[in-house]
Amino acid sequence: MRGHRRPGRGPWARAVTAVGLVGVLLGGAACGGSDEGGNAQAGAVTDTSETGDPVDGGEITVGLEAETNSWLPGSGVFNQPGVNVAYAIYDPLVHRTEDGALEPYLAESLEPNAELTEWTLTLRPGVRFHDGTPLDAQALKTIFDDYLKAPGANTAASLAEVTSLDVVDDLTVVYRLSQANSAFPELLVSPPGWPFSPTAAAAAGEDAGASPVGTGPFRFVSWQRDSQLVVEKNEDYWQEGLPHLDRITFRPMPDEDTRLASLQSGDIDVMQSLRQSTVIRARDLDGVDNYEHLGSNSGGGTVNTSKPPFDDVRVRQALAYALDQEAIIGVLGGAGVTPPTTQFYSEDSPYYSEEVADAYPSYDPEKAQELYDEYVNDPDRSDGLPVGTDLSFTYSCPPDPTLNEVAQLVQSLYAALGAQVELEQVEQAAWIQKMLTRDYDTGCTRVGADRDPYLVFDAAFTDGPLNMTAFQSPEIDAQLDVLRTTTDIEERKAAVEAIGLVINENVPNTFAGGTLTVMAAEDVVKNLDGWVFPDGTKGNGAESAQVMWGHVWTVE
Amino acid sequence: MYVLRRLPSLLATLFAVSLLTFLMTSLLPGDPALQILGAENATPEAIAEVRAELGLDDPLPVRYLAWIGDALTGDFGRSYRTSEPVAEAIIDRLPVTAEVGILAIIIALLVAIPVGMLSAYRAGTRTDKIISSTSFGLLAVPNFMVAIFLILIFSVTLGILPATGWVNFTDDPVQNLRSALLPALSLAIAEMAVYTRLLRTDMIATLQQDFVTMARVKGVSNRRILFRHALRPSSFSLMTVAGVQVGAIIGGSVVIETLFALPGVGRLLLDSVVQRDLLMVQGVALVIAVSYVVVNFTVDILYSYLDPRISHGRSAARV
Repeated sequence: MRGHRRPGRGPWARAVTAVGLVGVLLGGAACGGSDEGGNAQAGAVTDTSETGDPVDGGEITVGLEAETNSWLPGSGVFNQPGVNVAYAIYDPLVHRTEDGALEPYLAESLEPNAELTEWTLTLRPGVRFHDGTPLDAQALKTIFDDYLKAPGANTAASLAEVTSLDVVDDLTVVYRLSQANSAFPELLVSPPGWPFSPTAAAAAGEDAGASPVGTGPFRFVSWQRDSQLVVEKNEDYWQEGLPHLDRITFRPMPDEDTRLASLQSGDIDVMQSLRQSTVIRARDLDGVDNYEHLGSNSGGGTVNTSKPPFDDVRVRQALAYALDQEAIIGVLGGAGVTPPTTQFYSEDSPYYSEEVADAYPSYDPEKAQELYDEYVNDPDRSDGLPVGTDLSFTYSCPPDPTLNEVAQLVQSLYAALGAQVELEQVEQAAWIQKMLTRDYDTGCTRVGADRDPYLVFDAAFTDGPLNMTAFQSPEIDAQLDVLRTTTDIEERKAAVEAIGLVINENVPNTFAGGTLTVMAAEDVVKNLDGWVFPDGTKGNGAESAQVMWGHVWTVE
Repeated sequence: MYVLRRLPSLLATLFAVSLLTFLMTSLLPGDPALQILGAENATPEAIAEVRAELGLDDPLPVRYLAWIGDALTGDFGRSYRTSEPVAEAIIDRLPVTAEVGILAIIIALLVAIPVGMLSAYRAGTRTDKIISSTSFGLLAVPNFMVAIFLILIFSVTLGILPATGWVNFTDDPVQNLRSALLPALSLAIAEMAVYTRLLRTDMIATLQQDFVTMARVKGVSNRRILFRHALRPSSFSLMTVAGVQVGAIIGGSVVIETLFALPGVGRLLLDSVVQRDLLMVQGVALVIAVSYVVVNFTVDILYSYLDPRISHGRSAARV
C-alpha cells in the first residue's frame, strides 16, 4: 500500500509506525511452472498455471482482508485491500515498472526541471471520467485545491511540500515544490495521483466517498459496507482492449480462516492475504495459483532513544544482539519461509545492501551480555542508577495472540541478560499515539517500507513529528539531501547504504522477518501479475497483493 | 398499570446507559484524529485541525449534551471515519444482526424445548445423562470454534451452504436464508445448551407438583401433561434467561459477523472501536443497550400475562 498505511493488518502490522509505509519491489516474480513448490520454500514463490491468451467476459469475486472507510482520495485510508478496489475504479497517474522505475501510466508524461522543484505533467487527450467529465488540467487543479490539500485531508501532509498545482494549458499542469524532491513521482502512485471526477464529487458532497467516479477500467455499481462492492466493465475505457472482465465483486472478509475456506468452497475466486501462515496454507491448495511477494515491510521493534537507558548505544546494541530473529519468525508462523530482515529494504529491492546486512547486530547472546554488563557496570550510566542495577523496562505490543507470544519470547531473551521486562498490551490506536509522543520504552512495530527511501527516512529519522525513535544523525541528514536532489540511481543506492550503516550501528530499530503477501486465485483466473503500461513496458506485477484488475481475465 | 409502574426505572436505565456509553468511549486512549489521518500523516497541525473540525476539544459535558440532544431527535451525527450518518449505518445493519439473532433463538428453542422436556421426564436415566453431558460440552465450545467446524462441514466438504457473505432478503429470500443459517447455528449451539439445562431443572420441579400427580392419577397422557400442563409453569426461567441471553447473542454477533463476513451491527461496533470512530461507537452501543433494556422490559411485561400474580404485585417466579 502506497500512500496511507493505516495500522491493522497482520500481527506486526497492527503496530505500524511512521516508517511502516509500503510499496513494492519484487516486481512480477512470475515463475510459471508446476505445483511442485512445496510449502517450505523460502521467500516469495509465485506459482501459476499457464496464462494463455486473453479472454473477454465473465465475472469474479475477490475476498479482501478489510473494508475501506471511503473511496475518495483525501478522506479514504487506502491500505492493501483498498488499493485493490481503487485500481479497478481509478488509474494512477504514475506507476512502477518491473524494475522499480516510476513511469507515467494515466499521465502521458512527467518531467522535472533541472532543480527538481517543478514537475510538469501532461495528460492524455480524450480521457473521460465515468460520468463523462473530461480529465483535463482544470480537473486536476480542482482535485488538488479542493480535496487533496483541503483542511483535514489525509493527503495534506504528504503534499506539504507541494506548494501549488498550476494549469499550463488544457492538458498540462505544473506541480511546484518548496524544495527539490527527486521522489516526487512516488506521490502520484498513491491516492494524490488517482484522479476522480470533481463534478461527481461536488454533487455527492459528504457522500462522495461512497460513490467513486474515476477513469479506471471499471465503473462503480454499488457498495454495501462490510459486505460487497461491485464494479462493472467501463465500455469507454481509454486503453483499447481493456478491461477483459465484465464484472468484479470485492468482498471484505476480515477472518483469515474463513476467507481461505471461502476460496476452497468456491464462494470467492481470488483472495488476498498478508499473513505468512495463510500464505503457506494457500500453497497447498489444489487448482489455486499463488502470486506472492516478499515486501520490505518487516516485523520488528522501535526503541525510544530519547529515554535512558536507551539513549546509550550499548543498550540498544545489546537489545538487538539478544533477539533471536529465527525464533521470532517461527512464532510469527514464517519459519523457513520468511528470511530474517536486516534493513529497511528487502533482498529483492534495488536498495538492498550486503554491507548493511553484515552490519546488522544479528543474534549473538554473548555480545549482547558483554554490552549489557558494560552498561550496567558503568559508573556513569545514563539512567543514573547505582552500578550493577539491572535494567528494568516495559515492552509494549498491541493485543494480538501472535504478538503476545512474540512479546513473551522477547521478554525471555532479555531476561537472559538480566533485564526485568514488563509486558504491556496497548491497543493499537493508543500505541501509535504513545510512539508519536515518545511516551514508551520499546515494543513491537513494523519497520521498513517499499516507498522511496527519501520519503521513508525523512519521516523516520529527522526532527519531524513522525520520528518515533527520536534518533537523528548528521550523516543521515547529509544523505537525505543527496536522496532529495538526485535521480541518479547509483548515487541514491549509495546514500541508502550509508543511512543503513548508521542505523545498524545505532539500532533505533530492530528487525524480525519480512512480510510475505499473496493473491491466491482459482487457476481459471489469469494474469493477476501480468499488467503492462500503455506503451507495453512491463509493470510491477502483483506486489504487496495489489492487482491491476483491468488486465485480468477468466477462462471459466 | 404494571407497565406504567416500570416506566420510570426504564427511563433512568436508559439515561445511565447513554451517559456511560458516552463517558467510556470518550475515555478510550488513542486519538480519533490520529486514526483518521493515519500515522504517517499525523503532523501536530493536521491533528489539531481534525480535532477542531470534530469538536473534540470541547469540554466533555458540552459534548455529551450536544450528542444526547441530537440523539433524542434521531440524529446520531456522522461517522468520523466514513462520514456516513450513524443512524443510517445502524439502520442498514440492524436487520442483519436481528435476523441472525432471532433465527438463532428460534433454532435454540426448537431444539431445547423438546430435548429439555425429555431430559426432565427421563431425569436420572441414561438419556438424561447423555443430554446433560452433551449440553455441558456444547456450552464449553466457543462460538468461533463452532463456526469454523460448521464451515468446514457444510461449505468446504459438502458445499451446500456458503462459507461467508450476506445476501439481502429483498434481493433473494432463499439465498438470504442460506447465508444466515450457519451464523445463526453457530450462535444457537451455546444457547441451546443453556435453554435445555434450564428447562430441565424447572420441569423436574414442576413435575413433582401436586397438580401433575393429580393429572397422572386422572390418566391424562404423558404428552398432554408435559405440553399442556407442565410447560407453561416451567418456562419462567427460560424466558428470563432468553431475555438476558439477547445480550450474549449481540456479544456473539461481534465474533460471528467478523468470521462470516456479515455486514451487521457487531462488526460495525468492532471496526468502530478499533478505529476510534467515537460517534459510531456511541450510537451503536446506545442502540444495543436500548434494545437490550427494551427486550428485558418486554419479558417482564410478558410475565404478567404468563403469571397473573405478578401484575397484582405478588412476585412468584421473577428471577
